[in-house]
Amino acid sequence: MFMKKIFYSTRMFIISLLMASAGLMAQTTNKPFFTVEGEVLKPLKLTVEDLLNLKQTEIKAKDREAKEHIYKGVRLIDILDSAGVTLGKELRGENLAKYILIKAVDGYEVIFSLPEVDPEFTGQTIILAYQVDGNPLPKGEGPFRIVAPNDKRPARWIRELTTIKVVFSKE
Amino acid sequence: MKASNQSRKIIISIMIGSLLLLSFKVYENQEKPYNLKYPAYFGGRFTIPEDNPLTRDGVHLGRMLFYETKLSKTNQFSCSSCHQQKLAFTDGKPFSEGIDGSVTKRSTMSLANLLWVKNFFWDGRSNSLEAQAIVPLTDPHEMGQSLSESASKLEKTSNYPELFKKAFGSSEIFGDKIVKALAQFERILISSDSPYDQYLNGTYIPTEQELRGMNLFMAGPQPQNNIRGANCGHCHGTPKLFKELFHNNGLDTIPKDVGRMEFTGQEIDRGRFRVPTLRNIALTSPYMHDGRFKTLQQVLDHYNEHIQQSETLSPFIAEATNQVGGKSLLLLEDEKQDIISFLHMLTDSTFISNPDFSNPHLKGIKP
Repeated sequence: MFMKKIFYSTRMFIISLLMASAGLMAQTTNKPFFTVEGEVLKPLKLTVEDLLNLKQTEIKAKDREAKEHIYKGVRLIDILDSAGVTLGKELRGENLAKYILIKAVDGYEVIFSLPEVDPEFTGQTIILAYQVDGNPLPKGEGPFRIVAPNDKRPARWIRELTTIKVVFSKE
Repeated sequence: MKASNQSRKIIISIMIGSLLLLSFKVYENQEKPYNLKYPAYFGGRFTIPEDNPLTRDGVHLGRMLFYETKLSKTNQFSCSSCHQQKLAFTDGKPFSEGIDGSVTKRSTMSLANLLWVKNFFWDGRSNSLEAQAIVPLTDPHEMGQSLSESASKLEKTSNYPELFKKAFGSSEIFGDKIVKALAQFERILISSDSPYDQYLNGTYIPTEQELRGMNLFMAGPQPQNNIRGANCGHCHGTPKLFKELFHNNGLDTIPKDVGRMEFTGQEIDRGRFRVPTLRNIALTSPYMHDGRFKTLQQVLDHYNEHIQQSETLSPFIAEATNQVGGKSLLLLEDEKQDIISFLHMLTDSTFISNPDFSNPHLKGIKP
């Protein structure tokens, strides 16, 4: 009985750890996608084709070498809106303590606050781009990247984007 | 009615009793918390699992277990067989031998400042030290023993039941307690007293060569602005000397070991491996996941001259060059030597000689 208990408890422990660490493994797909998750009403998994169904936006912006390009994609605000994030009139009170955590495939992470992307607060248009100068984003950069034209240093122009997560500050 | 009243009373008193016991247990554990000490420049971005708080007794048990050969099927291997303190918890080999004489698939990683690591192993497949520890303990080619076998072996000893009682409140030994204690010990393996740390604290003045190397290491090259750099800091930057990243660093066009892709199943992860910390790097030869480079010179030569192109090659390596329009890093030989001299500043002799991290079984404490 006792040994059984040891065996059971150890087994459950291992199973739960394996399940936790293997969570990503199930996500194999041929078409590249990114997810929108966290404090959203409707979690999303979007491919380039899915983005074409949303309102398209083009912006001119200068890259790290100060060369101007035309980036095409979807405004970050429109993506968040379609996932049901507290924006516009709802962006008040405790919702102002939420932030957007964006992750890349290599593990790089950057954050924006919700007011930084909401046109009721800012004149800046931040997009999730999938094209540059009429072409898909090159390898190592795409298929998805953020373009934040007002950032003087493009360190938040996160490349190879995989996840957009809306998070409540727990402080 | 009377009987049910009585049983209700009994139930209530059992509940109160167990609550009291529980609070006592919690209190007992909180009595001796382990005080982590680390420099402010490492930052506080780490998580200690709520169900495994650091306690002095937990850390002590973890240290005993780290050096315990009873955790292997043959009673000949402990964690420390491959993770030797004098080599910053590596073993100096490209691959390490396990109980059955076969070798591991990848090179043993250094155990320093793991408190700040989120995804363990070269491919990042474990998201906690607790989960990580199970793998080498139970892998038939490493220590080769199930956690329940380890638990029952330890139960038969004269000292371990008491150590588990002190650490976790009960002398019963379970596999999860073994890995929790090991994780606690690993969390305190903090390396923060190298000459580089002393420089950051203002108590060491680097040589000119070390300073040149440090600047090259941290800087991204901008040939148009006459700024030379080796771009190492892009991935190995911050005083921790690593960032939580996975990159294909151009070792092979077609990698024999697909790295992180094995775990994620995603083509975009082909040939990607963890960015390891460079703390104590002069002690942890050979280098890379397969230990292919014996010397730091070979590593510098690789990044400077031998990057292999592929679909998943890190853009931060592909793009870095010290000449306008250059196709590779194009460091000068002297600059490589400067960087190597900086890398030697990362050797922390306090870390590799700290008695708190050493084998407790050698000090007359009976196993």
